[in-house]
Amino acid sequence: MTDLALTTDLPPAPRRSVFGDLRVIAVDELWRYRDLLYELMLRDIRIRYKQAVMGFAWAILMPALIVAAGTLVRYAMAYMGGGHVKTAEIAGMAVKALPWAFFVGAIGFATSSLTGNLALVSKIYFPREVLPLSAVLAQGFDSTIGAITVALALPLLGVHYGLAALWAPVLALLIVCVTAGAALFLGCANLFFRDVKYIVQVMLTVGIFFTPVFFEPRMFGPLGARLMMLNPLAPLLEGLRLSVVDGHNLLVPLIVHAGAHDILAWSPWYLAYGAGWAVVGLLGSALIFHRSEGLFAEYV
Amino acid sequence: MTTEPRIAFHEVWKKFARGELHDSLRDLIPAAARRLARRAPSRRELSGEEFWAVRDVSFEVRPGEALGILGPNGAGKSTILKLLTRILVPTRGACAITGRAGALIEVAAGFHPDLTGRENVFLQGAILGMKRTEIARRFDEIVAFAEIESFIDTPVKRYSNGMNARLGFAIAAHINPDVLVIDEVLSVGDMRFQQKAFDRIQEMCRSGIPVVLVSHQLDRIASLCTHALLLDRGQVVRRGSPTECIEAYLERERPGDPAASAVSPVVLDALVLTSALPVRAGERSQFRISGSVHGDRPGPRDCSLRVRALSTGRLVFTATASACGATLPAQGPFELDVDLQFNVAPGVYSLEIGVWDHVTHRDLASGPGVTLQVQPGALAFSGTAHLLPRAQLVAIGTAPRSNGAGGTRSGSGRT
Repeated sequence: MTDLALTTDLPPAPRRSVFGDLRVIAVDELWRYRDLLYELMLRDIRIRYKQAVMGFAWAILMPALIVAAGTLVRYAMAYMGGGHVKTAEIAGMAVKALPWAFFVGAIGFATSSLTGNLALVSKIYFPREVLPLSAVLAQGFDSTIGAITVALALPLLGVHYGLAALWAPVLALLIVCVTAGAALFLGCANLFFRDVKYIVQVMLTVGIFFTPVFFEPRMFGPLGARLMMLNPLAPLLEGLRLSVVDGHNLLVPLIVHAGAHDILAWSPWYLAYGAGWAVVGLLGSALIFHRSEGLFAEYV
Repeated sequence: MTTEPRIAFHEVWKKFARGELHDSLRDLIPAAARRLARRAPSRRELSGEEFWAVRDVSFEVRPGEALGILGPNGAGKSTILKLLTRILVPTRGACAITGRAGALIEVAAGFHPDLTGRENVFLQGAILGMKRTEIARRFDEIVAFAEIESFIDTPVKRYSNGMNARLGFAIAAHINPDVLVIDEVLSVGDMRFQQKAFDRIQEMCRSGIPVVLVSHQLDRIASLCTHALLLDRGQVVRRGSPTECIEAYLERERPGDPAASAVSPVVLDALVLTSALPVRAGERSQFRISGSVHGDRPGPRDCSLRVRALSTGRLVFTATASACGATLPAQGPFELDVDLQFNVAPGVYSLEIGVWDHVTHRDLASGPGVTLQVQPGALAFSGTAHLLPRAQLVAIGTAPRSNGAGGTRSGSGRT
C-alpha cells in the first residue's frame, strides 16, 4: 500500500462556501435523484389512496371543511352586523382555503418525513432533501385536484375570470416555495429535536386564525391589516383572492375606505414581501438542511 | 497496477458519543447553557462521553481489487462502510468514491409494506440511485433473479422474510455500480439463493469493479477478496492478503488463556506448514508442531490438532497425538510432525492446536493457528466430507418390463 500516493489521488476537500453548497443542493444532487423524488411522491400518493374509501374526494374534503367553517364564521359576523354572507366572500374563502390546506398537509407530512423513514436515513445514501420535498409534492398532487375542482366551481359562485387571474400560477409557485422552505427546515429540526412535531401541530391548528383565510386583513383596521400581512402566507393568499375573485391586478395598490379610515388592502410591496420570504426562506432552509445532513444518521 | 483508485480512504477518524444525545428542545436549552460555560469541543480531542469509532484508517481500492474488512463486532467495520457511502461524515480525514456506489447494505430498507413488489422495485431502485428507465429495462431480470414472478403484484407486507430479502438483493445486484460496497448481505435467503447471490457478487468482482466487503463469513472474504484489513477498536491492526488477515483475526479471537497455559503440562509454541503450497483436496500436507512438556505439572500429556471449516465455523476433524500413536516426552521440548490427507472440499480451513482437558472440556493451553486455502486437487467431489464411495453394478437388463414403455431398464448400482 502506497499511502503517500493517497494525498494526490484524493479529490480536493469540499469547499464550505455558501454558493458552492447551494449549487450542490439545487443542481447536482437533486437533479441526479429527480427520479427518486418522483418515486417517493408516487409512494406517498399511492399509500394515501390505497385501501381508502374516500378516493379522490379526500383531496377536496379538507378545503371543503375549511370553507364550511369559514362560512359559519362569516355568517355569525354578518348576522351581528345586520347583513348577510355574499357569494363572493365564499368564493374568496374557497380560493384561500385550498392553499392553506396544502400548507397544513404538506408541513404535517414533511415534519415527520425524516424521522418516519429511519431505516432509509441511517442505511442508504441519497440526498435527504427528497424526503420532505416529496411530502410537499404529494400534497401538491391532492391540491391540484382540489384546484381544478375549485376552478370549475368558482363561476357557479359568480366569479368571472379576468386577466388578473393569470397571477394565480405565480402565487401558487410562491406558496409552494414557502411551503418547501418550511418543510425542509421543520423536517430537519424534528430529526434533532423530537418535540418539534408537537409544536408544529399546535401552530398549524391555531395558525388559521393568524392567517387571512376566514378573514380579510382590512377587517382589522389600518394597523391590523398591515400586521396581519406580516405572516408570510398572508400576502400570497390575499393576492390569490384579489386576483382571481376580484380581478385585481397585483401591481396596482388597492385602498378601501372603511368609515373614517383609508385601509391599504393591497400593495405591490406585499407581493415583494411574500416573494422574498419564498425565495430567501427556501434557500436558507435548504442551506441549513444541507449543512446538517451529515449529522442525520448519527442523530436518528 | 497503475490505475487510479476508485475508493480512497485517507487518514479517517470518526468520533461517536456514548449515551443519549439530547433530542428535544426542552433538553437543548440547559445543554446549550452548559456548553457555553465550557470551552467549545475540539475536532481532535475527545470530551466526556466520546470515543473514536474509527481511528486513522487509510486504504484505497483500484479497479480489479476487492478489499475485505474483518474484525470483531464493534471494530468499526460498518462505520467505515457508512463513511464510504456518505451516510456519515468523517470527523477528520477524507474519503471518496469515484462514480456510482452500489451498496449491498440493508437491501430492503426502502420497501413500503403496502406497496406491491413491482412498485417497490421502482422505489428501491430509485433510492439506490437508478433512473426509472433503467429500472424498467432491467425489471424482468430483477424479478427473475429474485424468483418471485408470480408474487410481483402482491403487496410486500404479504411476502415472507426470504422473499423480501431476495427481492431487495436482486434490485441492489442490478444497479451496475462503479464500485461495490457489501455488508453482510451474503446471508440472504436459503442456501441455494445464498450461493446464487454469492455467484452474482463474484461475477461483479470479476468484471473489474472495485469492491469493499464486510463479512463474518471468512471463507467468502478469502475467496472474493484480493487483500484485506483487520480492524480492532477502530484501528487497522493488520493489512495484507485475506489469508494473512483471517489468520491474524482467528489468532485474536481464539480463547487463549495465558494464565491457564502457565499450569498446562504441555506448552505449544508453533504450528507450521512444512510441505509446499498449495494444499490440494485429496492430497497430503505436512505440519510441524513444536512445544515443550513441563514434567512437574499435572494434567494430560497430549496435544490435539483441529481442522475447522471457515465457511461454517464447524470442526471438520480432530486428532490427538496419542490417538496417532505419538507419545510426548515426559519432560523438555519436542517437535511433532503431522501428515494429513485433506479429504475435504476446496475452501478455507483453519488448523488449531491445543491441549484439551477432558475434565473441564476446554483447552488448558492453545497454540498459534494456520489458515489454509484448500485448492481443488486429485479429489473431486462436492459436499463437506469425502466418504470414500464404492459402487458396483449387480444386475443388468433383468428388471421386469413396464407396459408400453419400450425402454430397457437397468438395475441401479448399490454401494
